[in-house]
Amino acid sequence: MRPTLFAAVAVSILLVGCATPQNNYDPLEPVNRGIFAFNTVVDRIAVKPVAKVYRNYAPGPVKDGTHNFFANFDDFFSVFGNLLQGKVGDAGHSAGRVLVNTSVGMFGLVDWASGMGLKKTDEDLGQAIGHLGVGSGPYLMLPLLGPTSARDVVDPVSRALLDPVDLTYDVSTGVSIGRAAIGALDARAAVLPLDPLIESQIDPYAYLRDAWLQKRYNDVWDGNPPAPLQLGPGLDEGDEPDAATEQKTGTTATDASK
Amino acid sequence: MKKWLMMLLLAVLPALALAGAETPEMIVKNVSRDVLEAIKKNDKDVIKLREQVSQKVEPLADYTRMTALAVGRYWKSATPEQQQQLTGEFRQMLVRTYLSALTIYKNAQVNVIGARPGESVDEQSVRTEVSIPGQKVIPLEFYFERLNGSWKVYDIAVDGISFTVNNRNQFGSAIRQKGIDGLIKQLSDLNAQANVSGKAANK
Repeated sequence: MRPTLFAAVAVSILLVGCATPQNNYDPLEPVNRGIFAFNTVVDRIAVKPVAKVYRNYAPGPVKDGTHNFFANFDDFFSVFGNLLQGKVGDAGHSAGRVLVNTSVGMFGLVDWASGMGLKKTDEDLGQAIGHLGVGSGPYLMLPLLGPTSARDVVDPVSRALLDPVDLTYDVSTGVSIGRAAIGALDARAAVLPLDPLIESQIDPYAYLRDAWLQKRYNDVWDGNPPAPLQLGPGLDEGDEPDAATEQKTGTTATDASK
Repeated sequence: MKKWLMMLLLAVLPALALAGAETPEMIVKNVSRDVLEAIKKNDKDVIKLREQVSQKVEPLADYTRMTALAVGRYWKSATPEQQQQLTGEFRQMLVRTYLSALTIYKNAQVNVIGARPGESVDEQSVRTEVSIPGQKVIPLEFYFERLNGSWKVYDIAVDGISFTVNNRNQFGSAIRQKGIDGLIKQLSDLNAQANVSGKAANK
């Protein structure tokens, strides 16, 4: 995927998305919903059927190897995510994982590092700059890639720009596309069990968005947010931090706990 | 005589205190152990498994408060009958969606990390980590409140996603469009629909 494409998509979404929103923390809702509908159709026709075949018929070791291969890239970017947050120890663990799994683990196909006690942390760059106080910005639904936010677009962009394979080897576009496709298949197959949960909601778009926002908020706070993220009007009015403020500053929860 | 009675009372008191002293942490430990055992025994018979698990879990849940949290601000404007109906439908929906994926946890291990105090002495949350071989550890947090002397769960967060709060927007907009009765109807339609397709899938 070309980073310019992401930039172009991000900018066009920001420009188009000035219609009336349903609530105060999803300003681009009309555009996002359009993209979500598009994604749902593509998923139903092309992605989900393939992911189901992959899940049901691919041999276990192939699936494990594929999953490990892509998880190794997560570890690579976690090194920087950890360093940005000053988590030097965890950065060391992530770097150790990449070194061990890329060499002994044959380009990441086998996860030897976990057996050696090297901790997996998954601290992506979006989380890291969120930890430094950057708010999430508007929620974005990207074509094919799914939910993210203006802040967290940094992840797909940095992964495209600083891809360790592209930087080391001269790979053809075909190989890059193939790799991205297999990575998407691995990621899609992993969340197949969640489909009935999301599909059986009154409003799958809102359900997915609110789950994603809560999860990212929790990730930024490393699982220990000072207060839960409140979405929509609670039982008592005005008694909780609001997702809209969170997007601007990223420090709402800190303010609320004072 | 009076002294003897006092002695008896004093002897009984600690026992009485102990009877009601099962802490949320102990509840989570015991129930998760029982549930995992049930999953291992009945992973072929989904219907029997659901029955066994719901028997263990249902008495521990405060569905009324869960529903109130999910509905949010509009809860107070609902009549008692509407509240009851909402609770019934939301309860079905939760049981349906969360019990449907139980077999995923066949080889799971639940590690109870510890309890944290809540906003009052009658609230506590218990943090656990669910590990499934070959997958990332899933943090699972149970929120307890003391209701008439016994601890009940009123919210669960999976990886930071609260399953009550997560419904607030879709429920809220349904109420704004079609009123509380509209939401009740939408939920009961969804539940009926899932019942039909669920039965078809089990055949």
